[in-house]
Amino acid sequence: MQYKNEIKNDEIIVFADTSLYSKDSIFKCLYWYGDKYHTNVSFADNNTYRVSVKPLSTNQLSQEEQQYLLLKLERDLVDYNLRDIVTKETQNVRDLLIAKAFSNGEFDELPPGDVSDPLGFNINQLKND
Amino acid sequence: MINEKADKRSRKFREIDQFDLNEQPQYYLLPFRFHRITDDKEIIVNEVGDYLLLSNGTFERIVKRQLDKKKDADLYGDLIANFFISEEPIPPLIDVLATRYRTKKLFLNYFTGLHIFVISLRCEHTCHYCQVSRVTQNKDLYDMSIANIDKGIDIMFKSPNPHVTMEFQGGESLLAFDNIKYAVEKAERIAKEVGKGLTKVICSNLALINEEILEYCKEHEILISTSLDGPQYVHDNNRHKPHASSYELAIKGIELSRKVLGHDRVSALMTTTKLSLDYPVEIVDEYFRLGFQGIFLRNISPYGFALRTDKSKYETEKFLTFYKKALDRILEYNFSGHYFTEDLAKIFLTKILTPFNVGFVDLQSPAGLINGVIVFNYDGGVYATDESRMLAEQKDYTFKLGTLDDNYNDLFFGKKAQEIANVWANEALSGCSECAFQQYCGADPVHNHATQGDMYGYRPNSDFCQKNMEIIRYLIELMESDSRIKKIFERWAKTSTH
Amino acid sequence: MLLRTKGKPINIKSALVGKVTRNPERLDENSFLLVEGSISELPSKNFIGILSRQDEYEVINSENIVFKIPTLEHLMEGDIVSVGIDGNINTLYRVNSFHNTLLATERCNSNCLMCSQPPKDKNDINNLYEINKKLIPLIPKDCIELGISGGEPTLMGDLFFDLLSQIKTELPDTEIHLLTNGRTFAWDYMAERLGEIDNKRLMLGIPVYSDYYQVHDYIVQAENAFYQTILGLHNLARYNQRLEVRIVLHKQSIPRLTRLAKYIYKNLPFVEHVAFMGLEYIGYTPHNIEKLWIDPYEYRDELGEAVEYLAGQGMHVSIYNTPLCILPENQWKFARKSISDWKNDYLPICSTCTKLNDCGGLFTWNLKKHSEHIKPIH
Repeated sequence: MQYKNEIKNDEIIVFADTSLYSKDSIFKCLYWYGDKYHTNVSFADNNTYRVSVKPLSTNQLSQEEQQYLLLKLERDLVDYNLRDIVTKETQNVRDLLIAKAFSNGEFDELPPGDVSDPLGFNINQLKND
Repeated sequence: MINEKADKRSRKFREIDQFDLNEQPQYYLLPFRFHRITDDKEIIVNEVGDYLLLSNGTFERIVKRQLDKKKDADLYGDLIANFFISEEPIPPLIDVLATRYRTKKLFLNYFTGLHIFVISLRCEHTCHYCQVSRVTQNKDLYDMSIANIDKGIDIMFKSPNPHVTMEFQGGESLLAFDNIKYAVEKAERIAKEVGKGLTKVICSNLALINEEILEYCKEHEILISTSLDGPQYVHDNNRHKPHASSYELAIKGIELSRKVLGHDRVSALMTTTKLSLDYPVEIVDEYFRLGFQGIFLRNISPYGFALRTDKSKYETEKFLTFYKKALDRILEYNFSGHYFTEDLAKIFLTKILTPFNVGFVDLQSPAGLINGVIVFNYDGGVYATDESRMLAEQKDYTFKLGTLDDNYNDLFFGKKAQEIANVWANEALSGCSECAFQQYCGADPVHNHATQGDMYGYRPNSDFCQKNMEIIRYLIELMESDSRIKKIFERWAKTSTH
Repeated sequence: MLLRTKGKPINIKSALVGKVTRNPERLDENSFLLVEGSISELPSKNFIGILSRQDEYEVINSENIVFKIPTLEHLMEGDIVSVGIDGNINTLYRVNSFHNTLLATERCNSNCLMCSQPPKDKNDINNLYEINKKLIPLIPKDCIELGISGGEPTLMGDLFFDLLSQIKTELPDTEIHLLTNGRTFAWDYMAERLGEIDNKRLMLGIPVYSDYYQVHDYIVQAENAFYQTILGLHNLARYNQRLEVRIVLHKQSIPRLTRLAKYIYKNLPFVEHVAFMGLEYIGYTPHNIEKLWIDPYEYRDELGEAVEYLAGQGMHVSIYNTPLCILPENQWKFARKSISDWKNDYLPICSTCTKLNDCGGLFTWNLKKHSEHIKPIH
């Protein structure tokens, strides 16, 4: 089923594929619209989010402004989805990083590679007892 | 395998391709954040505040693994070297990055440094925006008692911080100068006994300053901090003093204080009011003319204004226009060879351009309240910040931690402190958690509460967020478009860390 | 400058180390007597041996002797030499120089494209250690600065720490400048052991050639060297060691040089000194010259930006091995006369230059390969 983003009765409506956009990213995006717009997320079908924003009654928009808002919402959804990917992919490293930052070096990694020379210098023999 | 080993150990030179540790075209993302700076530029900022300015669409290419190690060699190198991506799940230099993160949060190591003693609420000024001070002779009611001074000093020296600052505020602090003397001498004695550093600051409008007071300040190495809102017509309009010009008294006071204490022992702070917004250039010129090294262009204080959403947004826009005009003027001075800073920019730039941080109460995460500052009110109340006690004057005791009769742990780690602690890290606030400027900014629960009615705050219409986002964005835009400005900014950033 | 000579040895069973003197009155158990003519009788004191120019020599009383030495002119009263069983006489310490260096080992775990003293895969560690161990107590206590270089000194292993302990004991007032690639200090216990020696006069000079690992690893011809060195620098900082970063300027290091400067300030703000060094035309460099050569005049913008950035951030910065005429005048304050006396020279055209006395000039071996833009300043 193909959906087309649209402006209908002052409501800006954008559709997002659930396999491409995370739910978290959609809510994080809409958070920033909440002071001026009614926001809504629902399923258009099993594989499609229907995301909409509608200006509060105190915030009437011209047609031009509505067109701009549509564009902005589309772009923001993409941006927030990318941000969400970074957040989720990096959560573990970030936790590790902060744990290390507030430790005293006791969780340091082993250094990468070796430091031998052609005659076979062995760093491990130098460890203090 | 054996051959490879032998080859590695021979002294035959190898080509650069053979030193690629990652033959797969795959890489891992490291934590970083993204923001659009201008129509054609975007920025990514890593977990310790280093940024890269990129052309539009680059962020998307990075996340979608569309980089080509060969074709995008410079960018790829930048991303690896600056901790944005890694060729291994755990980057080989994660411990270096952790040390840098620790350096950025070093202010947490020391805990409370600034101890504000509201030594008297009495004042001889009647500034229209001031909701706090009282014109009265009633010392018993509005001066801090000797008993409370003693308790305040006692608590101050319980701080784990090896260097504490005691700052006397008012009202007009000099109306209670005898109590200041008592407090200074007692604190000096204890500091010496326990081996802590002690800085003393008197905040005053300087109307009452005289040589005798200054000689005392000189003898006890007390710094003077005063208020100066700009040229006379701005200052006197903001700061009403019956039958006198507050401006003339302040200027005379500054001159006399510099004469006795030395030029750099006297600082001035401005309060931006609605009137100030029309005079950005004049205000900067006034500070420059008086020989200050810089000016702190402070936001309009929301306290007492009861600013709410829409109005606040409009006011913030006006402030930003004011700020940019003033900053332009400041940069002109720098272009012509003078060293003259804008101190809010200086704080941000230190966070943006250096591996260090600045302990500035309003721009820290965890927030500076309690961690960096504590306020002992004239009546014995203990508050999280200076603004907190101003709220209290409007009968809002949300940030009252207790009284000077409470014990240290209950004040600093008690229920109230824990409640505030839930919302004092911008890493964990909606709207902030994925913000590219998170490392440069901070959390201000008191401000959120005062302007939006709850400590957690709501970023879409927060004037704090709107102001900081735009100033940071503007600073980056400026320095990335003009290398002269970048040099000036690097110099400002440097001098605030040393 | 002559630093080694050779004669015919008699009775020398192991490497000997001692001061030289021409004055029999000053002889002691740690000195050699230098002899130009013939001698008929031995001084009655206890001494190490005799170094003689005589073509023939008859042993008087089973003394240690090296004779038929072509020249002894280069040796000053009090210089310290080693005398090998093969009759080799190496000058180890020159009393009239500020540039004395102990050779720790010629072994190395890197193989830098521009190495000025290419490593040797021969285990010289014990022999050199024995010589240095005898040398150190003989060095005058007022020696201002002493270098330690290699090879990679930390490959000495336990002896590395023994050497540094001995130096701290024997020469507590001498500034010690140790050249190391820093890689082994990525292992925290190495830095910890160095920290235990606690010599406040010790400074480690460590090379970082790029902010991007692959470029650095290529230049030093060793995988993971960049990561190891950066970790090493951090570990050393953790144990309060004084650090210097050294950057050799050439075609491989120049493209990312300004980025490297930023990297240093951001990631290594604790380093005490950053030295930018012109390329030496010796060792491996002539062999790799195609990969390395860029006229210093061509990189003056990059160098200037890197230097001024770091200096602007409050870091202490120097430019080494670069004649003043190559640099813009506002960077002269960073240029040091860094080249040791015995390897320092100038071009013929330099003789009319008014800044000759302030200029560091060139390495003798760079007379063959130098910037096309060297010209006298008038």
